[in-house]
Amino acid sequence: MPPEIVQWFQDTALGTAIRESAIVFPVILSLHLTGMGLFGGMILMTDLRLLGIAMTKRPVSDIVNGLRPWKHLGLTLTAGCGILLLWSKAAIYYPNPYLRIKLVLFALIILHALVFRSVYRNVTDLDRSPVIPGRAKLAAALSLALWLSVLTAGRWIGYWEPKGAPAQAAQVVVN
Amino acid sequence: MALFLAYDPSTNPLNTNEWAFPVCEVLHILGFAVAIGTITMVDLRLLGIGMKKESAADLWRDTFPWTLAGLALVLISGPLIFSSDPNMYLRNASFRFKLTMLALALIYNYTIHRWVALKKAPGGLSFLTGAISLALWISVVFGGIFIAFV
Repeated sequence: MPPEIVQWFQDTALGTAIRESAIVFPVILSLHLTGMGLFGGMILMTDLRLLGIAMTKRPVSDIVNGLRPWKHLGLTLTAGCGILLLWSKAAIYYPNPYLRIKLVLFALIILHALVFRSVYRNVTDLDRSPVIPGRAKLAAALSLALWLSVLTAGRWIGYWEPKGAPAQAAQVVVN
Repeated sequence: MALFLAYDPSTNPLNTNEWAFPVCEVLHILGFAVAIGTITMVDLRLLGIGMKKESAADLWRDTFPWTLAGLALVLISGPLIFSSDPNMYLRNASFRFKLTMLALALIYNYTIHRWVALKKAPGGLSFLTGAISLALWISVVFGGIFIAFV
């Protein structure tokens, strides 16, 4: 993506309004973290249930199907807020290698969802299965690894600063 | 408070090691995601809008060790982050708000919230209990983020 486009995003009325408001940016950031708080843990619980580690007294389908709409809601909230944060500082974040890593990880998460679609769709089969099949466990383990990597890359975005930039620039990027 | 005023955090590993601080932050976010996420599972049931195949009591019992594990992670990483600059945090209005809400949320979670989840409480009381729980925990997250903006 050419730098002019990211600069254009940042300079739109929406981007400028979010970036320059003393209250809107931190509120959106708080909602981004609230989304992780309310629903991020549910991804972990789903994966830990599939791995046979957590909530083993409950049927797999109850956990996976019960949490699905809430995880979707949480992802919408968290990703929606993330896009707004990115929009408002598009040119600042553009060269950040951790942002790029995070976007690659999201591509891998979409790939994961496509590859392991059958595991999550046919989850009632797992209720009848005496042991959870290796493929489902692999899906859960990869999901855990991918989401923990997203979290780590996301936090690292705030600590990268361009070479030779004044210290002030880092202040802008933090959080 | 005076105890901390004489503390010089400049030699604290969190300030001298490039990785230590963000690692603590990642663990802090992971911890509250697990803790609040599992509490939210109980809350959705209390509100009557989710996890309806389970009882609130079953959800409370099955998530209990995970909520505790998440809280342990938060309560270890949090004080470490605090130690990086105690005087700044102590003077920060949002930090004080956050700690107040955290104390209320923790007490609430293991008293009223626990009691209502484990007993067969009437729908209205359950709804109110779940709503207050969510509000308390969301206010803790907001208080934490606003530390950097006040």
